[in-house]
Amino acid sequence: MSFSVPLDFARPGALDGLLELDSEGLNALAFGVIGFDGATVVRDYNDCESRMAGLSRDKVIGLPLFTAVAACMNNFMVAHRFEEAAETGTELDTTLDYVLTLRMRPQRVRLRLLAKPGEARRFVLIQRQVAA
Amino acid sequence: MDAAETLRLLALEQDHEALLQFVYMAPVGLLQACGDGEIVMLNPASSQLLMPLSRDGSLDNLFTLLQVAAPDLQDRVDRYSGANGLVCDGIHLSVETGRGTQMERRLLSFSLLKVSADRYMALLQDVTEQVRQAHRLQQQEAWLAAILTSVTDYALVSLDKHGRVLEWNDSLQRIGGFGPDEVVGRPLSVFYPDGAITPDRVADHLCEARLGGCSLDTGWRVRTDGSRYWGSTLITPLRLATGALDALGAGSADSELVPAYCLVLRDLTEHRDTAELARLAAVCDHLTGLHNRRAFFDAAEREIRRLKHRPRPLSLVLFDADHFKRVNDTHGHPVGDAVLRHIATLLHHGFREVDVVARIGGEEFAVLLPSTDLQGAHTVAERVCRKLAATPATTTAGEVLCTVSAGIATMADCAAGDLDALMQRADQALYAAKAAGRNRVCGLAPGR
Repeated sequence: MSFSVPLDFARPGALDGLLELDSEGLNALAFGVIGFDGATVVRDYNDCESRMAGLSRDKVIGLPLFTAVAACMNNFMVAHRFEEAAETGTELDTTLDYVLTLRMRPQRVRLRLLAKPGEARRFVLIQRQVAA
Repeated sequence: MDAAETLRLLALEQDHEALLQFVYMAPVGLLQACGDGEIVMLNPASSQLLMPLSRDGSLDNLFTLLQVAAPDLQDRVDRYSGANGLVCDGIHLSVETGRGTQMERRLLSFSLLKVSADRYMALLQDVTEQVRQAHRLQQQEAWLAAILTSVTDYALVSLDKHGRVLEWNDSLQRIGGFGPDEVVGRPLSVFYPDGAITPDRVADHLCEARLGGCSLDTGWRVRTDGSRYWGSTLITPLRLATGALDALGAGSADSELVPAYCLVLRDLTEHRDTAELARLAAVCDHLTGLHNRRAFFDAAEREIRRLKHRPRPLSLVLFDADHFKRVNDTHGHPVGDAVLRHIATLLHHGFREVDVVARIGGEEFAVLLPSTDLQGAHTVAERVCRKLAATPATTTAGEVLCTVSAGIATMADCAAGDLDALMQRADQALYAAKAAGRNRVCGLAPGR
């Protein structure tokens, strides 16, 4: 299955779509994508996220997400949701408003958290909110 | 752009990125705000700590975020008269994070530095664990200080994994007159008077020490000459490194000869009076001196928690004075009280020290017997019952005989569950004893 149109932030079943994309495919997306494994080590980091955060891909891949890359998400609102989903073997697909500290500036974003049982790769999708 | 300029820009870009990552990774929250609290810059650790406090999902204003934890922050800033300096230095803010049943209280350390007229830097750190750790250390230090200030009234000895004394030393001679033959290879219970501890309870203390870091038990202890003293026992698990085990020539941690616990035995005779009086006032029934109702339920719940870790039988005997109302009506309440005290004394002497004997109602008594099955409980209850039937109370109205009825229930294993069920079954058995003519013991087999 391939996507003729680029994957949308809110698209249902986004996890399966993301798993099919190579790094080029992820780079073509208009929102930030961070993929990480069961040990929370960053495995995917796309161009959009790299631009927003000011960090290049090779500085981030291989680092633990919640302590070295995005400590701001290491609380019950994000990190614990992934832990909980893994412990209970349930699917996680939830979207929430959050504030990230991109280049140390508070930046309102929408986060989408994606994980499913039997799949080691999980994703955080990040979409910048334009001030109303 | 010439090559040199390109290289310079590239180097600058790399520096910038390294600096960004440095602040991203900082394990403490750093934040810059204006005098009205508006947040200008913050690093991820700040956001991690502050997002759970945000009510509207924004991180716009520091004072708004900390409104509940530090309502006077704006005021402090306004009142600070210096051109620059620390507005607050490491103050502890108590915050609640999480939701629903997973709410938890965390402690944040917060410092605010005034840099210039409208520029403030804040430092935020979650210090919950450090504060807990410091509190534990304080308690341990108090304990050690208590031991070290009076070096003659304690003994220090290592125990194996079953709680048996591994080796003899002088301190054992000093505290209880124990020689090597009297303690080495003997279980911890050698320091307790007969009936004051069971093998199961020894295992409970070891288990508590393993799980919780230590197990503290205060009560009567015994010397080799049979005399008693009021003492406390602290057991802590020893964790030896593999190298240390090799050095001991012990092979593996499972070996019988490896010290598994450290035991500190203290003679508290001198400290007993005040501490013990306070304890007694809280747990004793004022009329009889037995445990009161609350102390009984506390002890019973503790015992049930223990047997969930390590299943063993637990029995409960309920005693009720027969026709007690008649005693009161005939002789008056002071005589009734004397009869109750008489029953209490016989109950107290009829059971082991490890059993919990309590007055839980007007003329109703309860005894909890750890590690005792229905047959065992029945034998003791029967003996007490016969003794009461043969021994009248001495009162101002002369000798008054008052018999008791008893109902027993046993929890054969923890599967049966809770204290309420056990109480209910003992109550049914007591009712059966009354119905069958009083002055008797009736026991219900487990699970009925």
